[in-house]
Amino acid sequence: MIYSDIGMDTASLAGTLECKLGAIRDAGFAQVMISASDVVGHPRGTAAGVQAVRESGLRVTGLEALRDFEGLSGNFHAYKVDVAKSMLDVCFSLGGEMLIVEASTSRHAEPDGDAVVRDLRMLAMLAVPLGIRIAYKGVSRSRIARDFCAAGEFVFRANCHNLGLAIDAFDVLAARTPLAEIEALDPEQIFLAQLSDFVWQEIDSVEEQAAAATHFRVFPGDGAHSDDLAAVVRKLDEIDYRGGYSFDVYNDDYQQMPPEQVTSRARRAAEWLAEAVLRRALPVPDIERLRPGVGA
Amino acid sequence: MTDALGREAVSEALNPLGIDGIEFIEFATSKPQALGGVLEAMGFRPVARHRSREVELWRQGSMNIVVNSQPIDVPRTVQPSEHPVLSALALRVRDAEAAFRRALDLGAWDIPVRAHAMELNIPAIHGVGESLIYFVDRYDDFSIYDIDFRPIPSVDPHPPAISGMHFFGIVQYIGSDRSADWVEFYSRIFGFAALPDRVRFGIMPEGLLLQSPCRKFFLQLIEPVDNARYAFGDEHLQRIGLGTPDVMATVAALEARGVQFLVSEKVRSNERGALTKPQLGGVMFELVHDEPAYHDAKP
Repeated sequence: MIYSDIGMDTASLAGTLECKLGAIRDAGFAQVMISASDVVGHPRGTAAGVQAVRESGLRVTGLEALRDFEGLSGNFHAYKVDVAKSMLDVCFSLGGEMLIVEASTSRHAEPDGDAVVRDLRMLAMLAVPLGIRIAYKGVSRSRIARDFCAAGEFVFRANCHNLGLAIDAFDVLAARTPLAEIEALDPEQIFLAQLSDFVWQEIDSVEEQAAAATHFRVFPGDGAHSDDLAAVVRKLDEIDYRGGYSFDVYNDDYQQMPPEQVTSRARRAAEWLAEAVLRRALPVPDIERLRPGVGA
Repeated sequence: MTDALGREAVSEALNPLGIDGIEFIEFATSKPQALGGVLEAMGFRPVARHRSREVELWRQGSMNIVVNSQPIDVPRTVQPSEHPVLSALALRVRDAEAAFRRALDLGAWDIPVRAHAMELNIPAIHGVGESLIYFVDRYDDFSIYDIDFRPIPSVDPHPPAISGMHFFGIVQYIGSDRSADWVEFYSRIFGFAALPDRVRFGIMPEGLLLQSPCRKFFLQLIEPVDNARYAFGDEHLQRIGLGTPDVMATVAALEARGVQFLVSEKVRSNERGALTKPQLGGVMFELVHDEPAYHDAKP
């Protein structure tokens, strides 16, 4: 096993759910972020998908992603509440402790702050009995929250213990968000840091950012912005963020490669992250804590 | 006039559902007779049986206990098994349907009505672990039991309480770092208020206390002591707290009926409280010294 707090997403890989999980485990990862479609799209049904995840022995970081949830009204809102409940049920059955919620990009979503806060509170409440945390994430195309600063504002206003942020480093890099913004966050409110790089030098428009986000992400260390990405991670470390890291990499090329080759890149990225960026030594962070002075 | 309206607005804000105490607490078990023995020793009497389902109503003074042996097919609910489990808490509210709607709007999970154990139209939501929370608004002249329960013949339908025992509250065990989540659940949906640490009742010092908005009862949230990682299934309603003005007299009265109390280094009966020995795989009751002033405690 490599680092216990660094995981991979099933969305990064091609193949069946079992193949993906096997490749992730064989590469030495201990945890996995599950794409809901991988479970409910299992050829033998959702229960079989759940069973495959349970039997993989991997810890489930969480389930992704609930989209276009907040800011709706009437029947549309009621419908999305049902969708959210269904995803929470799946997350719960996987033993997952986090649901990733991406800020709405729906044009029906009203950018009314009070309604967004009300909906996020409701979602957090739905998650309480299941022991699930809600990680809300800014999306560049969203009219509600286009980055972690805006998402953080809503999380702050909603003020629920199990509602926090997922910070996607890609968005920070692509939008060139000043790192000082991270300092404004309460580290306890950051539930997950999602890491990926991209190969383009610059991203000039929201459209380009959306295209890059959905097609051209690469693993950390493989892209054109390693230093900037390292700076984001170091900043998180600096403010005492102690949550996990997950490689959130969607790439059309990886969808056409054997999963083992993709996971070996992921493993290299984990080593780069831990050794070059966070300056940890193998094997696991828990052991590091026992040694005085390390990591200071 | 404006004052009266103002007060009403305040009480509405503090007690949005108009909660007015506990209507009943439910156990689920496949061995109702064994549990009946435990309840009988504690002073409860069986007073009615459901017309068509394996459900019994036990009573003592102001307390109703429902013993449910009827399996229902709803995920995340207790399936009756040999070991009795606290499976539901029924709250008296001003308007059950309105309370239910409000809870759903705030993010509670509803239970399909037809699946309810008692076949009554009592709205219910999911609570901690596999337990349910019912909302009941018929508890004055006309009760929910009048419809679907048949009284047990030649039994006093209102057996008096031993030593003034009454529901004091429920203890629930929760996972590590889960107190804040459950405080939000009980305060936002129901209007419970967390009490400061210095307020303590009984002899069990741990946990966080929540007072009901009607100030008639308490919930106690207890996280694992050793920071052990709890599996989800470990969150549950653990025991009923029974208030009494004189704990030692109540202990004596119950001991005379065959109830045994825990005696250990940490726990022993005294005037503040007492704990019965667990039976049938974990059924226990906590006695708590209670007086009217406790229910005035302001958070």
